Amino acid sequence: MSIMEVSGLRKVYSSRLGGNTVEALKNVNFSVEKGEFVAIMGESGSGKTTLLNILAALDRPTSGRVLLDGLDLSKIKDSLMAQFRRDNLGFVFQEFNLLDTFTLEDNIFLPLVLAGTPYREMEDRLRPIAARLGIPGLLKKYPYEVSGGQKQRAAVARAMITNPKIILADEPTGALDSRASDELLKLFAEVNALGQTILLVTHSVKAASVAKRVLFIKDGEVYHQLYRGEDGDEQFYRRISDSLKVMATGGREE
Amino acid sequence: MIYPKLAFEGIRKNRRLYLPYILTCVGMVMMTYIVDYIRYSKTVAEMRGGSIIEEILVLGNGVIVFFSCLFLFYTNSFLMRRRKKEFGLYNILGMGKRNLSLIILCETATIAAISLVAGVFLGVVFSKLVELILINIIDLGINYSFDISFSAIRDTAIGFAIIFSLLLLNSIRQIRFSTAINLLKSENLGEKPPKANWFLGIAGVALLGAAYYLAVTITNPMAALVTFFFAVLMVIAGTYLVMISGSVMFCRLLQKFKGYYYKPNRFVSISSMAFRMKRNGAGLASICILATMVLVMISSTSSLYFGEESALAIRYPKEINAEIYTSGLEDLSDERFAPIKKIIDDAARGAGADISDAVYYREAAVVGAFINGSVEVNVANAAASVAASAVPYQFYFIPLEDYNRIYGTRDALSPGEAMVYYTRENLCLSEIKFNNGRDIKIVKTVDRFEVDGDAAASIVDSVVLIVPDLKEALGGLIELAAFNGDRLVVTEFVYGFNTGLEPEKQAEATQAVWSAIKDLDKEKYGIYSRTVSGREDSRTEFTELYGGLFFLGIMLSVIFIFAAVLIIYYKQLSEGYEDAARFGIMKKVGMTDRDIKKSINSQLLTVFFLPLGFAALHLLFAFPIIKRMLRLFNLVNVSLYGLITLICFAIFALAYTLVYRITSNVYYKIVSGGKD
Repeated sequence: MSIMEVSGLRKVYSSRLGGNTVEALKNVNFSVEKGEFVAIMGESGSGKTTLLNILAALDRPTSGRVLLDGLDLSKIKDSLMAQFRRDNLGFVFQEFNLLDTFTLEDNIFLPLVLAGTPYREMEDRLRPIAARLGIPGLLKKYPYEVSGGQKQRAAVARAMITNPKIILADEPTGALDSRASDELLKLFAEVNALGQTILLVTHSVKAASVAKRVLFIKDGEVYHQLYRGEDGDEQFYRRISDSLKVMATGGREE
Repeated sequence: MIYPKLAFEGIRKNRRLYLPYILTCVGMVMMTYIVDYIRYSKTVAEMRGGSIIEEILVLGNGVIVFFSCLFLFYTNSFLMRRRKKEFGLYNILGMGKRNLSLIILCETATIAAISLVAGVFLGVVFSKLVELILINIIDLGINYSFDISFSAIRDTAIGFAIIFSLLLLNSIRQIRFSTAINLLKSENLGEKPPKANWFLGIAGVALLGAAYYLAVTITNPMAALVTFFFAVLMVIAGTYLVMISGSVMFCRLLQKFKGYYYKPNRFVSISSMAFRMKRNGAGLASICILATMVLVMISSTSSLYFGEESALAIRYPKEINAEIYTSGLEDLSDERFAPIKKIIDDAARGAGADISDAVYYREAAVVGAFINGSVEVNVANAAASVAASAVPYQFYFIPLEDYNRIYGTRDALSPGEAMVYYTRENLCLSEIKFNNGRDIKIVKTVDRFEVDGDAAASIVDSVVLIVPDLKEALGGLIELAAFNGDRLVVTEFVYGFNTGLEPEKQAEATQAVWSAIKDLDKEKYGIYSRTVSGREDSRTEFTELYGGLFFLGIMLSVIFIFAAVLIIYYKQLSEGYEDAARFGIMKKVGMTDRDIKKSINSQLLTVFFLPLGFAALHLLFAFPIIKRMLRLFNLVNVSLYGLITLICFAIFALAYTLVYRITSNVYYKIVSGGKD
């Protein structure tokens, strides 16, 4: 059963006077199955940030539609959009986007507090997640007191705590060193193994290679896709980079 | 030349920051010029008592320049903080510290030039208007000539040249002592979570409490001035501590109550408030202090000005009042007074007066303080420490005979007994023991006695004792002498009457009486000294003093309000920039626009009205002590002062709210303009 269905997505940006138009997305179609771990790859300018913004309901497509669990995102009223995001989507950003005015714990609680969850329940939900992410000792600290990797783990906890239908991760390893990246990616794989659907946008082959499926975007279209199948991380890594090489040289895989 | 161009561009590009700053500089220059202009004004110099105004203005000018200096430093540091990033970029692109200093020099020179030219121009334009207002306040004829005071321009230019040079040096110092990277990042420095400093927070609350306690409990009017000074310092320090540490402490405390804290409407507000207060505590405390100053100043000076009539009536119970001090108690007799009375009456009648409502009585006066239950009048006998803490009273001894005559009563007293009248507070005494004197038993408290103007206006409370015989009641007191050999007990005839004359004529009559008695033969009449005062005669002086103070109160209030508005504006601006990113994140995590607006609103409201609330609290506790000090200026009408304070507060609150609405729009614009 697919949890997210994207069909005929097109997004055109036009300059204020309407003179220049840029077609960021031409015609994007794909779907994400429940419990899947999908990575979307593309170079900068390929339209992947635009795509993610539309999937996150932060932006609206020019045409086409996105169904989340059967619900058309374009049908949601603007005033309810924030609430919808809070209840159904989890976000992990490249720049962590933690509020420096909150402790890590309060940052993680933020979406729950906004939803009016009682404190007891928030505590009960946080405990297992914090334990799995290895941050129980850091909860009372402020973002400026912890490392990038720790911040990103807190951001993952914040994304997970609402039990979202899907976690959208935008270049989550972009601001991390290689060791912290590896740990985070391992964490994503673990979380996915527990049944959490994840959609990861990245241009790092390493990050993409932990996913179960990789979609390649080029010039505003899904250009190609790869399934992991029975491959291990390293084999999958090689296949992904081969594909990228072919894409870069302009050919098409058989 | 590239430097002037860069400097000019820098100002133009940051006009949202620079425009209010320049406007303030212009405003400050204008005010300084105007005050200077009036100080040098011939019209004012030629006024009777113009010298009082001039003195008040010299003092006021000092305050304005000093305050301008402090205040421009505050705003300039804010500007520099925002400009450092730009300077850091220039630095990386290859500009040396010297080049940067040159840019700053050009900038400061540009701003100084604009401020001085525009400020003096506006000052010249408005100076006549302000002079007219002053003259109108002081009730004088109007002179419509228009002039420019070059001495005022010179003084203003010198004052501000110094201020701008100091600003320049300070800016250059900041550039010199930082590296390019520091400059680039300086805007993001110091976003550490605020620590609740319990010690400072509690110290602040304690200071405020102690100052309030002092202000409310101080009864010794002599000590009031010194105490007031200390209380003011304590309140200032306390306000800063409470706003900076106490507020963070309070937020942290609230966060400890999980059930209370983790609610959608409080969660974001409380934790942001802690940061906001850390960033703005000092600014808010400044606003609070300024607001309190403005309110105290404007309400007390306007009370004086509008309460002038009643002050005059109290200070001068009759239209003409004479006090003749006799050489001793033996000269204080009706027989001795009869020839003096005739001289006074003749002089008054000669000036056209129709003498009516005349009041005449004899009086012996001495100052004393209650020490261990008895009254000590000889300061030398009281240990200094005791004397300083003891509350002094003015004791008046009035013969029963005179009292009965004035009020047409038939009260009778035995030796050692007295009837008492308290000018202010009822002390409920049943007996008064005078050291070196005798014990006086109080048999009755009367509720009327028209004391002379000195007693009515005195900062010290008075106790009037109506006794059967002065000599017997005073006992040994009459022998006591002060250090200089003068007697401690002062004996005098008090004589006052109304004239039924026009105000102008009254002043003339007063002068006539004065000329008649000023050269009285002291030996022949047994007198020591004499004074005459007339209500109309003194009116000009009163109007000038009160009018001058009122005028200065208005001028300083305008400046302080300028300052408060600007602090508020910059606060909103800097917060807007800092909060924009934060609210962007909240939106992504699922906070609705409405939630955000609501949260912003509640925070802004708190931050805004906290200083106003504190100012109101300060005013409330300052009330008793200010009331006491206003007595120095003959203002005893407490309800008038209360009413005027309330009106001033209401007007101020209204203006404040207006500023809030305008500046919070700036804030919203910045916050919503941030990328989401």
